Amino acid sequence: MKKIVVPGEQVSDRPVQCDGCFVDAGKTFATTMSLATDERVIPLKGRYVPVLGDFVVGIVKESIVIGYLLDLNSPYLAKLGDRDCREEYRHGDVVSVKLASVNEVHDAMAMEPRKLEGGTLVAIEPVKVPRVIGRNGSMLALVQDHTGAQVSVGKNGRVYVKGGNVALAVQAINKICAEAHTSGLTERMTDFLKREAARSEQVN
Amino acid sequence: MAKKSDIQLVKSDGTRLDGRSPTDLRPLKITAGVLKQANGSALVEWGRNKVLAAVYGPRECFPKMLTNPYRAAINARYLMAPFSGNEEHSRSGPNRRSQEISKVIQHVFENLVLTEQFPKTMIDICIEVLQSDGGTRIAAVTAASVALADAGIPMRDLACGVGVGKASGQLLADLDKGEDNFGESDIPTVISPRTGELLLYQMDGMLTREEISRGFDLATEACMKVHAKQVEALKKKYDTVLEEAGSNGE
Repeated sequence: MKKIVVPGEQVSDRPVQCDGCFVDAGKTFATTMSLATDERVIPLKGRYVPVLGDFVVGIVKESIVIGYLLDLNSPYLAKLGDRDCREEYRHGDVVSVKLASVNEVHDAMAMEPRKLEGGTLVAIEPVKVPRVIGRNGSMLALVQDHTGAQVSVGKNGRVYVKGGNVALAVQAINKICAEAHTSGLTERMTDFLKREAARSEQVN
Repeated sequence: MAKKSDIQLVKSDGTRLDGRSPTDLRPLKITAGVLKQANGSALVEWGRNKVLAAVYGPRECFPKMLTNPYRAAINARYLMAPFSGNEEHSRSGPNRRSQEISKVIQHVFENLVLTEQFPKTMIDICIEVLQSDGGTRIAAVTAASVALADAGIPMRDLACGVGVGKASGQLLADLDKGEDNFGESDIPTVISPRTGELLLYQMDGMLTREEISRGFDLATEACMKVHAKQVEALKKKYDTVLEEAGSNGE
């Protein structure tokens, strides 16, 4: 059974190693507001911390000697080397990058930059990213199919939407985030997208 | 001139001037997530106290000299609004008292927040007392604790507290301004309800060892009631979404 737990609330009466939990006196307790289901804990809120290999959407914050500093919607910045860039970036440019290395204090080096232009950037809770993507990308495919928009989701909670019905895609992403901790979301989103897509066609 | 001890704060039938029994709390209402711009926020209305707390971060640490490569720095800021009371708080900005309270609140959360998960960062806890009626530091800790949980900052437990003290020779829980100012003693107490560990204990006035022991038991019992309200406020925020989505989450 799913239940919402608060920091310090017991999740299991045996030690379980998982994110958003800690073990004390042989029992497992939640550290953040989370959704707990049979010894599995899904945090409902939290900041993004860089992880090696993540694809993220960054914003160029500063130009430095070796390249650029990227804002990752996180307390930590990523460095992007000049050598990895095919073009010059300016302050405020949006780039998708892969995190090539992350050290013990979470400072990251980025690689494979791709400039994102002409679309809309949406910020969501980083903990909701798996729900927006869905199992094997099913939720993302659903949004893209019904809106015709191209949606790129960064692990850091930045979603880039371009082309198609951008307004509906953004509305759908926000709805997924607001109801991320509820069950039967895929069915509700299918109904919502069909209804709203039909309505916008009528208007046009 | 009448002495402090001459003022009757407990009536002959054992009730207090506002009709509460010695163990009763003032009406407590906690609302989580009241500010959209903050990462986490809470409004605590406790009797006539109104305290607003907002949490920002973890964020890049400024000033840089406070950066700790092993853990996040906690920056607590407690302030009373110039219109919060009718006495010495008429000047805005920090003063000796607010600096002391900011410091003790910082220590409370340094012992609860898992700061080692966010090295080199800073977590800001901003607390504004909008209306005061005794026990504002306890209301501030209660609000800050809910705001931190609302911000998704990992913690070992919620901090919950209550002020206990002695007035008219009797131990009382949750002192209001009159009992605090004209009573014999007061002890703001903050505990971690999961373990019962003491996080804040500041005594003002005189009590016997036996009274301190009884007072601590009284505080622990009252803290559990506060903790229940904190949990209720945090869960309510997500229950609303569960209801709107037409699902009970099972």
